[in-house]
Amino acid sequence: MSNAAVGTVYDAIISEVINAVRVDFEENGVDDSALEDLKKEWQRKLSQMKLAQFPWDPKPEPPAPAPAHTQAAAAPAPSAPPASATYTQSTLSPQTAAQALSLPGVLLPGPNVMGVKQEQDFAQGDPTIKQEPGMQPMPQGYNPPNGARPTAAHRAALALESQYGQRAAASISAIHSGMASQANPALQPQQQGQRPGQPPQQMNQQQYRQGVAAAMQQRMQQVPGQRPPNGLPTAQLDGSSEAVDAPSLEPGSDAAQPPTMDRAQIDAHFHAQIAARAKQMEAGGLMLPLEEATKTPGVAGKARSGADGPSQLDGMDDDVKSEEDEDAINSDLDDPDEIGDDDEDDDDSMGQMMLCMYDKVQRVKNKWKCILKDGVLTVNGKEYVFHKATGEYEW
Amino acid sequence: MANPTTNYYDLYRHGSLGIALTDALDELIGEERIDPQLAMKVLTQFDRVIAETLQEKVKARLTFKGSLDTYRFCDEVWTFLIRNVAFKLDNGGQTINADKVKIVSCSSKKNDEK
Repeated sequence: MSNAAVGTVYDAIISEVINAVRVDFEENGVDDSALEDLKKEWQRKLSQMKLAQFPWDPKPEPPAPAPAHTQAAAAPAPSAPPASATYTQSTLSPQTAAQALSLPGVLLPGPNVMGVKQEQDFAQGDPTIKQEPGMQPMPQGYNPPNGARPTAAHRAALALESQYGQRAAASISAIHSGMASQANPALQPQQQGQRPGQPPQQMNQQQYRQGVAAAMQQRMQQVPGQRPPNGLPTAQLDGSSEAVDAPSLEPGSDAAQPPTMDRAQIDAHFHAQIAARAKQMEAGGLMLPLEEATKTPGVAGKARSGADGPSQLDGMDDDVKSEEDEDAINSDLDDPDEIGDDDEDDDDSMGQMMLCMYDKVQRVKNKWKCILKDGVLTVNGKEYVFHKATGEYEW
Repeated sequence: MANPTTNYYDLYRHGSLGIALTDALDELIGEERIDPQLAMKVLTQFDRVIAETLQEKVKARLTFKGSLDTYRFCDEVWTFLIRNVAFKLDNGGQTINADKVKIVSCSSKKNDEK
């Protein structure tokens, strides 16, 4: 017996089976080509297993070994993904972070453009007073951008409601009134007139940074104990955050009035949304082309802004994100384990297996002796057939 | 040939040849080119043909030794899990070693009864 015999034996079996079922195929009105395909596919799959040299292998298909090669190449792959995954992650995340810094301002002209712009007016006014916990920023001329963007207003109202419940009632009503008044269109050109020299994109970026800074600032004010976990972006944003904090000075005198509170909250919420979108950008940037990534963030950003502190746009986020991503990749990381399990199963079921008949199985104490016949043995990736086999083993 | 279903084991379907056939049949069924019933007929033919072919055309002999890890005898089927097996082929004296091998073995009596 040898491995070489397997090919001819299997070929004989295949031919005989195909011939035997030809009648059945005809009786079922099945095309002869199906039978031929069955034979070819059967042989091809056997060749893929690379268990032996089959007679049909050399003649019709040199490509037959190729699939087997790919199989073999794929086999070690499962161990690779974790390494490569972490690699891409480590290399990608800084990039995407940078993207998130520069891009969202351009890509998200939503509520923040108007909201932040308004604050910018005050920014010029008085930058000196900042980080006063008692102060509540109240953009005086602020008008919710609802007239121009009813959907954004609706979203904001919904999110406020879900986030703050009853407390947000006033601000929601403010949003709605703002929708009615439609003060925005008038405001916007005005503000743009203030900075004629700047290209709009730059403006947006600046506003975006300010928006982030404002969000952080307001978070600090709302939760004084909580500080941004990583000082990096704060340092970057210092200049503009001064500007953003400025509004808190002027309206500070009105801080006690409830509507200002609400607007501050709205403001905070908008900034939070923007920051969350930026976050989303980072996460999405890993997976998606930019165009797609920028289309989606609205939904996810909204969801996130309600869930956790979305205004943290700094190194810490990267850490968190990488952890999250690792979690996400865990499904991939699990795969090698599963594959390992599968391999074990395969060892049991198919990889290392002998299928045969037994003539006799004897046992004396712990010594077993059996006589087997008509067997197929698959071992170490090779297939063997035998007419008779005797085995002795101890338990 | 008249009634192959009862006289042959379907155990060889779990070997590589049977798995390849089953997969190929599954594809044809998936493409709706054949009935599942027809596929079953093919498999029963396969059961018969492989049993007969192994019986008639294969002359090779084989001995093996190892340590028995698990044994099971259920419904006339012996299942052994043997570790550190050394197979010796009759011709050529080739030896194959394996960490573990599972043996599934049906009684040869049933074939004699047919």
